[in-house]
Amino acid sequence: MTPALSVRDLTVRFPLAARRRAPRRVVHAATDVSFDLHAGRVLALVGESGCGKSVLASALLRLLPGNAVVTGSAVLAGSPPVDVLTADERVVGRQVRGRRLALVPQSAATSLTPVRTARSQLEEAVCELAPGTDPRARADELAERVGLAPRDLDLFPHELSGGMAQRVVVALALAGGPAVVLADEPTAGLDRPLANRTLQLLREVADAGCAVLLITHDLGGLLRAPEVADDLAVMYASRLMETGPAAAVLAAPAHDYTRDLLGALPAGGLVPIPGHPPELTDLPAGCAYHARRPDAGRCDGGALHTAALHTGGVRSARCRPLAVALC
Amino acid sequence: MGDRRLVVGVTVLAGLAAYAVLVPWVAGVDDRVTDFAAARQAPSWAHLFGTDSAGRDLFVRTAAGLRVSLLIAAVCAVLSTVIGALVGALSAVAGGWVDRLTMRVVDGVNAVPHLLLGIVLVALFRGSLVAIIASIALTHWTQVARIVRSEVLSLRDRPHVDAAVLGGATRWRVVHRHLLPAALPQALVAAVLLLPHAVWHESTLSFLGLGLPPHRASLGTLLEEARSSLLLGGWWTLVFPALGLVLATLAVAAVGSGLRDRVALPRRAEATL
Repeated sequence: MTPALSVRDLTVRFPLAARRRAPRRVVHAATDVSFDLHAGRVLALVGESGCGKSVLASALLRLLPGNAVVTGSAVLAGSPPVDVLTADERVVGRQVRGRRLALVPQSAATSLTPVRTARSQLEEAVCELAPGTDPRARADELAERVGLAPRDLDLFPHELSGGMAQRVVVALALAGGPAVVLADEPTAGLDRPLANRTLQLLREVADAGCAVLLITHDLGGLLRAPEVADDLAVMYASRLMETGPAAAVLAAPAHDYTRDLLGALPAGGLVPIPGHPPELTDLPAGCAYHARRPDAGRCDGGALHTAALHTGGVRSARCRPLAVALC
Repeated sequence: MGDRRLVVGVTVLAGLAAYAVLVPWVAGVDDRVTDFAAARQAPSWAHLFGTDSAGRDLFVRTAAGLRVSLLIAAVCAVLSTVIGALVGALSAVAGGWVDRLTMRVVDGVNAVPHLLLGIVLVALFRGSLVAIIASIALTHWTQVARIVRSEVLSLRDRPHVDAAVLGGATRWRVVHRHLLPAALPQALVAAVLLLPHAVWHESTLSFLGLGLPPHRASLGTLLEEARSSLLLGGWWTLVFPALGLVLATLAVAAVGSGLRDRVALPRRAEATL
C-alpha cells in the first residue's frame, strides 16, 4: 500500500551565530529520520522533551525559521505527488498546508486568535480551504464531528475550556479535508480524562481515513489507551531509535532506550534514566544513548537494523540486530 | 480609578458635544452675523457668554468653534490612526529593508517639530480646511505607527498566526484578520490620546492666523480675537473659549487614559504591587 506520507532521511540543522574565536556550532535537530504514514493508521512518535519531535512537524509543514537547513524527502501521495521539503513555497501554501497536510498544534488555547470567536476562525478556514461549501453549515458539521455543540463555536477562545479549545483546533485541522494530520503534543497540559478524549478523537480521525502522526512525550497515555496508536517510533537526540507496530514495541522493546523509557513509568517501576540527554549542538559520535548509558548493553555504534515480522509489518532498531524472538 | 475617570470624561465630553451640536441649531442665529451696536457686552441673560468686538454672541460662537475644533480633531485622529496602523503593520510584516526604511522615515518626521511642519503645510494652502487636517494628520501618524508595529512584531510569532497560515490564510489575510484586530485596542487608545493634541494643534494654527479664516469660528480663532478684546477689559472673550478648550482636552485625555487602563488590565499579582 502506498503510504500517504513517506519521509526519508529527513535531516534538520540550525547553524548558530558564530562567536569570536569559537567554532561555529550547529544544532542537530533531526538526523536521518525515515518513516511512513498510512491512511487509517496512527503513528505515535515518542521521546523526551528536546529530542527533535516538534521540529519534524514544523519541517514537514515548512514552518521552520529561515536559518534551518533541511535535507531529505517527504513525499505526499496523491495526484500529483508532492515532496513537501523541496516544493515551491507557493505550492506548499496554496495546495499542501491545511488541504493535504494539516497540524493539530501543541497549545490549543494560544493557537486561536484571541479577539475572534471560534466560529469566525473556523468559517474563515473553511472558506480558504474548501471554497464552494457553505461555511456555516460546514463549521457546524466539523464541530459535531469533533464532539462540540455548534453553539460552542460562538465563544471566544478565553471562554473555551482546555478540552473545547483542543476540539476546535482539531476541527480547524480537518477543515480542508487533509489526507495527513500531524498532531504535535495535542495532550500537553490536559488532565488525564481530557487527554484520553483527545487521543480517542485522533483515533476517530484516523478511522475516518486520515494518516495521523501523533507526537507526544506521554508514553504512559499510549500504554493506557493501546488502541490509539497502530505504530510507534521512539526518538532520542534527533534520531529514531526504534520503530515498529506499537503493540509489539511496547510488549518487547528492542532498544535499551525504549526499555528504559518504559521502566521510568509508574507501571514500569518508576526507575529514572540516569544522566541527561545530550546537547543537540554537541552530540557524541556513534550512539548518543549508549554514550549516556554505557552500561545499558551491547552497542554497535548506532547502526540501524531492520527485520520483517512474521505477523506482517516491519520493526527496526539501532545498536544491535533484532532478536529472532522479537520478529 | 480608571473606570471613574472614564465615566467623568465621557460625561463631560457628551455635555460638550451636546452644547456644540445643539446650541447653534436651537439658537437659530448665524454666528457669523455681526451687530456692532451690541459689541463687547459683558455676560448677561441676553448673552450668557457676552459678545465679541463685532457684537457676535459668544455662547453660540463658542459652541460653533468647539464643534469645528472637535470635528477637525476627530477627523485628524481617525486619519492618523488609519495611516499609522497601515504603515506600522506593513512595516512589521514586511521586515528587512522595508521596515528599516519606514522606521527611519518615522524618525525623520519625529525629528522635525510638528508645529513647524504643520505651519509650512498650512501656509502653502492658506485657510483650507483640508490643509489644516492634512497638516495635523500627516505629522501625528508616527506615534500610532510605532505602537502598531511593536504590537504586530510581538504578535506575529504567536502560535495563532502559524495556525492561521495553516488554515490557508494569505499574508494579507493574516494581517487584517489576525494581527490588526489584536493590535487595534492599543491603536484606538493612541487615537483617543491624540485627540486633545489635535485640538491644541488646530487651535494653535488658528491662533497664529494660519488656520481657518477669522469669520469661521474655531477655538483658535476665538482665542486670537480675544487677544485684542482682553486689553480693553473683555475678559469673557478669553475665558469661555479657553474653558471650552481646557474642558474638551481634559475630558478626552480622561477618556483616553481610562480606555488605556481598560485595555491593559493589571494582572492580580501586579495589582497588589
